[in-house]
Amino acid sequence: MSINRQWLVILFLFFLAYLTVSIVFPGRWSLPIFRHQEFVYGLDLKGGARLIYEADLSKIEADQQKSALEGVRDIIGRRVNSLGVTEPRIFTESSQTQPHLVIELPGVKNFNEALEKIGATPVLEFREETSVTDLTAEEAAELASFNAEAEKRAAEILQQAQAGADFSDLAKEYSEDPGSAEQGGDLDWFQKGAMVEEFEKAAFELSVGEITDHLVKTSYGYHIIKKTDEKEGGEIRASHILIKTKRAEDYLPLWKNTEVDGRYLADAQVSLNTLNEPQVELVFNDEGQKLFAQVTARNVNQPLAIFLDGQSIVDTNGDDQITEADVYAPIVQEKIDGGRAVISGAMDVDQAKTLARRLRSGALPVPIELISQNEVGPTLGRISLLESLKAAIIGFLAIIFFMILFYRWPGFLASLALIFFSLIMLSLFKLIPVTLTLAGIAGAALSVGMAVDANILVFERMKEERAKGESLVAAIGVGFQRAWPSIRDGNATTLLVAAIMFFFGTDFVKGFAFTLSLGVLTSLFSALVVTRTLMLVGAKTKLGRLKVIWSRK
Amino acid sequence: MIPFLKYRKIYYLLSTILVFSSLAGLLVWGLNWGIDFRGGTAVNIDCQNQVPTVVQLREKVTNLGFPGANVQIVGGKQVVVQINRSDITPVEKGVLIQGLGELVGAGEESFSFQQISPIIGQQLKNQTLTVVIWSVLLILIYISLAFRKIYRPLPSWQYGLAALIALFHDLLIIVGVFVLLGHFSGFQVNIASVTALLVVFGYSVNDTVVVFDRIRENLLKAQDKNYAEVVDESLNQTLVRSLNTSLTTLFVLLAIFFFGGATLHTFTLALSVGIIAGSYSSIFLASPLLVSWYERRH
Repeated sequence: MSINRQWLVILFLFFLAYLTVSIVFPGRWSLPIFRHQEFVYGLDLKGGARLIYEADLSKIEADQQKSALEGVRDIIGRRVNSLGVTEPRIFTESSQTQPHLVIELPGVKNFNEALEKIGATPVLEFREETSVTDLTAEEAAELASFNAEAEKRAAEILQQAQAGADFSDLAKEYSEDPGSAEQGGDLDWFQKGAMVEEFEKAAFELSVGEITDHLVKTSYGYHIIKKTDEKEGGEIRASHILIKTKRAEDYLPLWKNTEVDGRYLADAQVSLNTLNEPQVELVFNDEGQKLFAQVTARNVNQPLAIFLDGQSIVDTNGDDQITEADVYAPIVQEKIDGGRAVISGAMDVDQAKTLARRLRSGALPVPIELISQNEVGPTLGRISLLESLKAAIIGFLAIIFFMILFYRWPGFLASLALIFFSLIMLSLFKLIPVTLTLAGIAGAALSVGMAVDANILVFERMKEERAKGESLVAAIGVGFQRAWPSIRDGNATTLLVAAIMFFFGTDFVKGFAFTLSLGVLTSLFSALVVTRTLMLVGAKTKLGRLKVIWSRK
Repeated sequence: MIPFLKYRKIYYLLSTILVFSSLAGLLVWGLNWGIDFRGGTAVNIDCQNQVPTVVQLREKVTNLGFPGANVQIVGGKQVVVQINRSDITPVEKGVLIQGLGELVGAGEESFSFQQISPIIGQQLKNQTLTVVIWSVLLILIYISLAFRKIYRPLPSWQYGLAALIALFHDLLIIVGVFVLLGHFSGFQVNIASVTALLVVFGYSVNDTVVVFDRIRENLLKAQDKNYAEVVDESLNQTLVRSLNTSLTTLFVLLAIFFFGGATLHTFTLALSVGIIAGSYSSIFLASPLLVSWYERRH
């Protein structure tokens, strides 16, 4: 190595030292992109649960298995999301005869609830709107009297309004529409189609400044409407006073189950209609055919909502989450007799596929069996982390102590290289990022032990060359050159075995093999570049010229 | 110079005894498979506050309705309870957490539960077998490539054979230690011990390769020397390296064994045994074998 190149390498090493320190110990000295890099810990170190289910696909035809498995995964994903766990992971492993579904729930607190929810058989339900006839006699009576009272109050306010009382004062005082009461009932500008039908009809019939001469009844209650302004192009502005009435859903949930559920659905597939738009075709079995005909007969022009596991089957408000706010409820166009229904409307192919897949998962649930569960308490996880770090640091210090004691100056330089090695490893853990587990830390620690092997091979070789009378600098060069085949072969066997370990599905083995391989590769760099440069430079310093520090003998 | 080869009959005897006792132990006692492989439940508890005795623990676990559970205290402050059933219900779990938590003064957050059904255990056994077979095959290919350049004065396959014999020697000794510990102190073969075994595959061959590399180099330089002398010289030259490398690796393993918690115990133990066996066999078995074969030829 020429002198210039050597100094270039030294410069590079300084830069690398700065970079790695700034990644491992972020602070004001770090580049902004590294300031918020954190280590990623596995479940065994931070606490949490891992569940493995085996999906039984034996009853599903070969060409359907993949989509069936995807369906299971999707359903479990929905359930996991409803648990409120941060960063859950769900993935399938198909290395076995029957595929496995792995679910990781970091920091999960309500483990038993999670277990129950995830393992349950999916429930697909077709629901219809609740109506007043579903109420008990008592409830119905109370509803009727409440609404009669409301109508009476509304009529009184209407009289006052028509008698010339200030509309906006009335709205402020009486309106039960919290959004507009404060503004004197003002609803701002709106176009046709923005309001419920009855309201809109009445409002557009008015002329500017006019107040309705009768109460307008909508599903919300009784409205008194005043048109306040209008524009070219059909936009109008109006104020209203609302007196709320009660509805059946104030007593009961909005949706109630029909006789039809997932058991009666035989299949659901995506197809294209005559306009080439995607639609979903549903096929019911014989029993389902009759029941579905009954349900559709009494719900013509009414919505029929589809629920999976008690939640809307798909996201309908576009926030990529399924919450209470979502309801997927296609309108029944007519009574459906033949057991074949089509859901059409604004959806793209992906949405149609999701819908069909979820319908199928509800119709033909894939049996899943819990075959492994692992739950680690947060305290135990933290202690494991501290203990394994302590062990790694003690092992590391023992090696440095030994190397300096046994090899003196070169040992010290090798220790510097080991510190480099550790900084690079820790930086890589953050940057890749590597999920740190107990096995991973063990692999990394072990690779430190193996990393010194390269240094030891070189130092032993150097000693021999020096014994033959070679100069220090020459001995360093020859030492590295001669030791290289052994270093290469030794690391090759380790990498080979690490590669084989990846055949194991088990995370313990994979985590270990990954950090071990990473360590082996980093150690090659640390021994061949860092130690070597330090040695060559070290040999030229004043201290380095003292022969006694190079070797015991 | 240490005359390694002089006493090679003794090494052969020692290795033969070790290997055959391992095999005998394997046949008579068999391996003590852990719950990873046969299914069951492992409960780990960290007890920083009060550490009970094994007898107290066993009594408690029996009283809680799990007679015959395997109870251990690892590293002085971690309790490991293994139950032969994988279908522990949440209610039973609650009973264990309360009962054992009282005994060691720890709450739910200091517990870990691992429940593995026999199904996955069987699958893991099959997988392990596949991986071990693959490892042997790949190591065979590696050895035949690594030694193809040494062809004097023995054919290169004999170098490979010596490395393989050393490898199997090491593996059988580890298995023997597993059997022994399994029989007398409840040590269980789990996925971590299998991982350790695989690491030893690489380590053992690596150790032998370094010595053989040196033999090859010395053969090229000293054509006039007798083969036994060359091997002895190479062993002496690589001895310090072999010892130092094993030592530095052992430092790490011992640190993990004593300070690293219960999960990695079997792993570090298996690996330490393997590394000691690997260093031993590359010096005292593989290289002397070469000389014995050479002398039989000539």
